Amino acid sequence: MEPLDRRTFLRKLGLLSATTAASAAVPGAVMPLGGVLPRAGAGPVWKKAPCRLCGVGCGLLVGVENGRAVAVKGDPDSPVNQGLACAKGYYSAQILAGRDRITRALVRREGRLVEVPLREALDLVAFRLGETVRQHGKDSVAIYGSAQWTVPDAYLAAKLFKGALGTNNVETSARLAAGSAVAGLRSSFGLDGAIGCSEDLDHADVFVLWDANLAETDPVLFSRILDRKRANPAVRILDLATRTSRTSYAADHSLLHAPHAGLAIANAICHEIVARKWVHREFVRRHVAFKRGATGFGDGRGDRALVEEEAAEVGWGDLVAFLADYDPERVQELSGLPAASIRWLASLYGDPLRKVVTLWGPELNQDVRGTWTNNALYNIHLLVGKIAAPGNGAFGLTGQLGGGGTVASAGAACDALPGGLVRRDADRRRAAAIWGVPAANLSPEPGRPALGMFDRFTRGEIRFLWVMAANPMMSLPDLDRYRGRASRADRFLVVSEAYPTPTTDVADVVLPAALWFEREGVYASAERRVQHVERLSTPPGEATSDAWQLIEVARRLGFGSLFPYEAGRQVEQIWEEYRHFHSDPRDALPSLADLRAHGGLLWPYVAGRETRWRYNTAYDPAASRAYGEYDFYGHEDHRAWIWLRPYEPAAEAPDEAYPFWLTTGTVLEHWGTGSLTQRVPALHRALPRGYVEINREDARELGIRHRQRVRLASRRGAVEAEVRIDYRSQPPRGVVFVPTFDEGLPINRLTLDAACPLSGQPDGAKCAIRITALPEAGGP
Amino acid sequence: MSASGAQPAAVALGVFLVGSAITAIAATVVAVERVMESRHPGPRLAPVARPVAAREPIRAEAQVFRTTPGMLAIEPTARRERSAHPRTLRAVRFLRAFPGAPPVIPHPLSAEEFRTVACKTCHERGGYSERFAAYVPLTPHPERGICLQCHLGVDSVIGVAGTEADPNARCPMCHGPSGGPARREASPTWATTGWPKLPRLALDRDPPPIPHDLRFRENCLTCHAGPAAALEIRTRHPERANCRQCHLVLEAGAETYARPPSRGPAGRSVAP
Repeated sequence: MEPLDRRTFLRKLGLLSATTAASAAVPGAVMPLGGVLPRAGAGPVWKKAPCRLCGVGCGLLVGVENGRAVAVKGDPDSPVNQGLACAKGYYSAQILAGRDRITRALVRREGRLVEVPLREALDLVAFRLGETVRQHGKDSVAIYGSAQWTVPDAYLAAKLFKGALGTNNVETSARLAAGSAVAGLRSSFGLDGAIGCSEDLDHADVFVLWDANLAETDPVLFSRILDRKRANPAVRILDLATRTSRTSYAADHSLLHAPHAGLAIANAICHEIVARKWVHREFVRRHVAFKRGATGFGDGRGDRALVEEEAAEVGWGDLVAFLADYDPERVQELSGLPAASIRWLASLYGDPLRKVVTLWGPELNQDVRGTWTNNALYNIHLLVGKIAAPGNGAFGLTGQLGGGGTVASAGAACDALPGGLVRRDADRRRAAAIWGVPAANLSPEPGRPALGMFDRFTRGEIRFLWVMAANPMMSLPDLDRYRGRASRADRFLVVSEAYPTPTTDVADVVLPAALWFEREGVYASAERRVQHVERLSTPPGEATSDAWQLIEVARRLGFGSLFPYEAGRQVEQIWEEYRHFHSDPRDALPSLADLRAHGGLLWPYVAGRETRWRYNTAYDPAASRAYGEYDFYGHEDHRAWIWLRPYEPAAEAPDEAYPFWLTTGTVLEHWGTGSLTQRVPALHRALPRGYVEINREDARELGIRHRQRVRLASRRGAVEAEVRIDYRSQPPRGVVFVPTFDEGLPINRLTLDAACPLSGQPDGAKCAIRITALPEAGGP
Repeated sequence: MSASGAQPAAVALGVFLVGSAITAIAATVVAVERVMESRHPGPRLAPVARPVAAREPIRAEAQVFRTTPGMLAIEPTARRERSAHPRTLRAVRFLRAFPGAPPVIPHPLSAEEFRTVACKTCHERGGYSERFAAYVPLTPHPERGICLQCHLGVDSVIGVAGTEADPNARCPMCHGPSGGPARREASPTWATTGWPKLPRLALDRDPPPIPHDLRFRENCLTCHAGPAAALEIRTRHPERANCRQCHLVLEAGAETYARPPSRGPAGRSVAP
């Protein structure tokens, strides 16, 4: 230490008192409930954590002081958001501190939920789980998790239910958000996990935003696109959507089309690319194969088993003949998108000098032919060879952080095992060996995807259901069918949650859940980025992580030897065990030590290098140069597959009785079913209630005014809500938009339970409805 | 003779052969097309009407993106202030009778300017004005034509000869006769609501919400960026294009969140 003379001392003292005075003048960190934290002088310690509130996976820095989160900012070192965040991210730390946080375990006694010690509640859960398996067989129990699960949570759920109990009844809300995105990647490329990464946005010349209101659903990615546009004014942003939204206004061109038309439009673009000879012949010759699958397999209702794809090899001639049906004029009739716009879109894709990124949102996946639509979009990029290279990519955005295959990669899907599929013998043998269970424990028969699982629950075939970090009694389509039957005497519903929701309302046991940086964990986002989060603050009351609850119940069931994780090192031990499933360079994961040291790493992670562009031999260590510049190693023939997917009509379209299209979606301020974001005062005050947006002309014809209440009815249910005209978005005539976040406006009572039979993802974001004006209140 | 006689016959035969070949090819093509069509019956459904975008955009949504620092004469990094008259929030408020009122015009207008409503010459794109030795504030709504419909001048200095030569002619607009404290642009007994206050931010880094309504002020940058913006409300990041990604508009009258009545098994309204 340097010697201090009197003068320096006085100067330092003065400086110190000046800073103290300044920090007293600047209002400090104020707690959501009003108390001001004492300043520790040095200010908060900034720790990294991924944002959980959409599929982008921004890196955040959380300021921690006295064991509490006091501030949030974007992490400048994060390659995803580069220091930026959106409103949800900035306010995300307050989600931990809502007034009605569930802090104690609740058990239903005589119809009411009463507080009990957590140990007692876990005893009861374990007892009922064990009893149900004993009395009704292993397939009478199920777990429904979330794409909000950390990877260890999802992995342990798979291990307990698939490995120890022996049932494939493991599903997550990721099926609702991203089922078709995963199935599309699996059928086109043989593996799930995105092809490019967010860095594509810095290189592309044309952005086609397809049914994705990016400015509200993924604002940070959208800002990155606007940055790219500012740096290079020649960049073009195209918004191809079913309504005029904030994204349309920011885009260079807004193209409107009718709902469900995505597949036909994509085929028409391919038609045009082939007809005008814009095909990248060398790429197609070396890297692409053509396949035809079965058609006409219904709308996914009935027994809801996942349809297994059978690919028939076809040739170039078959593709040309197939595309003959999709000339732009004809598709204009199907889609309402003018033929000239289709030709122009095709010319942008076909221009060899432009790099094109296509981004599509959950709306496109939520379709009775969602998997086909994903295939058709990949077809466009494969025909012109614009994929798996910087600035050339096709990317299905997911609404949830773990939606894009992450949860399925950890085995938390009815047809998946960690790093594999239940149908494959080799994958089952590997899982049995790593878990140390008999191979016969693992069932080769896939369970039923989300809606099928809840069908079985309502029918009583499943009698024990554990819901974690999900709100199915808000998010399932055709909601009344499930909500009414969830709480019968012979069913047992356990819900691990942080806040009361319509799902906890019907639960028999509610377990208090720790939220994301109240516990250590690993998250993986849709672009294959894996991020580690430390435990930064103390969970309230008896709240614990989902992983801990699963381990405790497993131990009570006598599976303690399968779950030998030590307190304090749990996440590390689980992660290192899980990595055994990802030893192949095609899906290798980084170690926890690497994750701790970095803001997020893209898998496949081989020899300390992340893979930004998969299948590209210049970037992907698993891709072999023997196949040329690209190696699509997901399929055995090392080719990407172009599927001939015909347009089939929508599961339900407007008719005379129900003349409007209802579309549902997300707004900027809220996320999912709003159970977290509604608890943040700033977000709630910005958008407190759900609303109905209809076209101004339609409203005039129906005699409906701005802010008047209306009744929306479909063949399945009805809700009442307030109309807003020209509020945030403008649906074209015949289309209605309702956001999904408001518990007071459960729009899913109207939506349709049809699903894509290949992916199991429900067609739950659109259906046919009618609107009736309600008499205006407030009159004498 | 015979040769010359045979030639037309050969030509005719050739023409006949070529013609019939063309006909045969055409017939084959048509037949094959029919077969192809029947093998791939295209979707034949009722045509969908072309969705038509609304004629009038939602200004609060659209305007945010329509003006960028590049289009305005805003140097995002400009830090130059005028020394005598810093444009502070107090000065900005001084020109408005109440929050949201159109500001009065604080400078002389020549008769010509008054007649032709030439405001946009300076106020559309901004920049430095030699005449007033100041950066020109921007209008957030340049598309509205008749500025003087809402923004009042002060009669005493409109058309005053020599105003341009005498920059001090505008002093009395704000300063009292003694040069002392300013008078407010309001009647002495006028009481108005308080200026919008930012709600207390819960966390240090929270982006402040938008405390005023957006009507006629949809473009954030015009008032919150550039050297003419009031010091206290000047954004530090004018290059960010989508302001409302982080800064939220507060809904009037929204209270603390309360769940709607529980639909638990006891009070369930849905019949099983």
